[in-house]
Amino acid sequence: MKAFDYRKQNLEPIKTFKSAPREEMYVPGHRTCAGCGPAENYKLVAKAAGRNTIFIGPTGCMYVANSSYLCTPYAVNWIHAQITNGGAVASGIEAAFKVLARKGKYNGAFPNIIVMAGDGGTVDIGLQAASAMMYRGHDVLFICYDNESYANTGIQTSPTTPYGAATTFTPPGKMIPEGKKLFPKDPPQLFIGGHPLLKYVATTTVAHPRDLMNKVRKALNQDGPAFLHMLAPCPKGWVFDESLTNEMARLAVETGMWSLYEWENGEYKYSHIPKNYKPVSEYMKHQGRFKHLKEEHIAKMQAFVDEKIRKIKAAAKPVEAAPVAPHRKK
Amino acid sequence: MSNERFLTGCSAAAQAAKMAEVEVICSYPIRPYTAIMMELAKMVANGELDAEFVHGEGEHAQLSVVLGASAAGARAYTGSAGVGVTYAGELYSPVAGGRYPLQMAIADRTLDPPGDFGSEHTDAMTFRDQGWLLGWACSPQEVFDNTLMNYRIGEDHRVMLPQMVCQDGYFISHIPDKVVLPEMSQVKEFLPPYNPPHPLHPERPVSHGPQIRPDQGAPMDAQRAAVFLEVPAVIREATADFNRIFGRKYDPFIEKHKMEDAEIAFFIMGAHSNTCRNTVDELRKKGVKAGMVRLRWVRPWPTHALAEAFAGVKAVASVETSTSYGGAMRGGNLVHELRASLYDLPDKERPLVTSFMAGLGGETIWLHDFEFMAKKLLNMIAEKRTSRYVYWIGFEAEGGKK
Repeated sequence: MKAFDYRKQNLEPIKTFKSAPREEMYVPGHRTCAGCGPAENYKLVAKAAGRNTIFIGPTGCMYVANSSYLCTPYAVNWIHAQITNGGAVASGIEAAFKVLARKGKYNGAFPNIIVMAGDGGTVDIGLQAASAMMYRGHDVLFICYDNESYANTGIQTSPTTPYGAATTFTPPGKMIPEGKKLFPKDPPQLFIGGHPLLKYVATTTVAHPRDLMNKVRKALNQDGPAFLHMLAPCPKGWVFDESLTNEMARLAVETGMWSLYEWENGEYKYSHIPKNYKPVSEYMKHQGRFKHLKEEHIAKMQAFVDEKIRKIKAAAKPVEAAPVAPHRKK
Repeated sequence: MSNERFLTGCSAAAQAAKMAEVEVICSYPIRPYTAIMMELAKMVANGELDAEFVHGEGEHAQLSVVLGASAAGARAYTGSAGVGVTYAGELYSPVAGGRYPLQMAIADRTLDPPGDFGSEHTDAMTFRDQGWLLGWACSPQEVFDNTLMNYRIGEDHRVMLPQMVCQDGYFISHIPDKVVLPEMSQVKEFLPPYNPPHPLHPERPVSHGPQIRPDQGAPMDAQRAAVFLEVPAVIREATADFNRIFGRKYDPFIEKHKMEDAEIAFFIMGAHSNTCRNTVDELRKKGVKAGMVRLRWVRPWPTHALAEAFAGVKAVASVETSTSYGGAMRGGNLVHELRASLYDLPDKERPLVTSFMAGLGGETIWLHDFEFMAKKLLNMIAEKRTSRYVYWIGFEAEGGKK
């Protein structure tokens, strides 16, 4: 049988900042905290994706602090999903557009269908739906804006909360001095590990906006599922000055706490690999969530990151680095 | 030219979904509804039906997938049974509150523990208050008919509500019976295409399901309740059109059997009404003025139709195939709303009402069980009072089986 032409778009790469679209698809109307990483993240994703887009917003900060009735910030289609089912609601929307296009009831270019889920909605309560969407091969981009906790409910630990972080469910105390004892889940690895139809996976941060926007476009151009993991620092949850959001994301990369890579056709391509990694303490010292840690805990974190760096250096195929965002000097 | 077939309830549901030209289907296996999806899967594989057939990863996902599909403007179909119905629990309110008129076929089943495949109404009844249209069929033919009628009613712009189209597991879902399949032209005349007012569409951006403030909550609740006041008129219209186009004789809300001069009456829904109807006929031969009212819709509940049907009857047996542990009447669900429906009747016309737990766990309700119920009703009339709220069929010292 001849394959039906769903009129898939091809979004051009953004070569320079100046050539990025001026049109905003994530506009005023939200009420996120000052310095909110996820809000900045949403803005960049929406800008890169453009008008022909449907966002699926599982419950999380970007639902609760964004989608106030009659003043939502989305200039494109947006639909709430439960925190549990972003991947499944997106699957249904994608299936609908496929059948409606086949039956001649929808004649436009196939829309960008993007799930914007927090870390809980991606790798905790939302994992099953995300995995099933990728397994079934829906043409959906699943994005995890990772602020490393259940932030909107008052900063509770999630599977991506780092070791040693104080949250309201992992308070440091006499018996548990480090706060969170567990090391985090690795979202891209969870998905890369077992979804034959998953085409493209990449990581980025809000401090790397051109990199972020181009990864969004590349992911959307895939004819099938894609996953992006984006570090979106949270001033309230991590307890740092709200002017330092991008600085935190940049330091995460410079210390090896976070790495930027793409996974495509089974191969990894790393970018922004520092010549000399800074010690993790350079990153942790700015953040109140780590303030209670003792040297032995920081050493444990350093050992965890050193092991990640060792693996990256062994496997790395560096690519040309996209410029980082300009930041305010202190 | 109609096409007479011999079909199970599951096959009838699948045939109706096909003739309704459902566009997105989401499956997950659980007995006894599974065969509906098996048949639809074949139709899609053979090219008889152009639909996206999505293998959900569970019932929660099934309802999520069809929610998304319905929001994007596709006619969506799913289904489940038993603990599958309860596993999807989070989604019932978002689907109804979002006004997504998708359909869920339920071939009912007991809940755990312990694992029991048998039919029971408890699964779907547990979610009767989440804002869905809900009702039971009593034959494969009625399953077919209800599938089409529910889409027509649910997708009406005055309604825009999801529908649970229920049939008793095994008794209806697995026992073949005569089903008259209509012509496509009849279906097209009855059921217009799904055309939601505000679907997700790139050219007309909308936000679905934003956050509201507490002071906006009550108005939205009131609006959802008000919609249900509009539904009966739409059901009447749709049933009249259905009867005209397909040549049937459905009463919109309840089936009344020999109620004209009835002194005692059974109140029942679903498959066991077939045995009940026969019992009424047997009792009539013995000179007992018995009758039966069969409920076609649990939501919206036909309060006034029931009051009218039971006015002047002396005693009524509510036959309960679902449980309400610790409830006002110590047994099932229907009796609460039945009693409430009859409360405003004048004293002289208001019947005595008791309830009988029967058909639980998939047990058959036999003719002699209904005769036992009739005996109790006659005793109540003699005693002029309701001495007990509930009887458990099979567990009573006198009469009944076991």
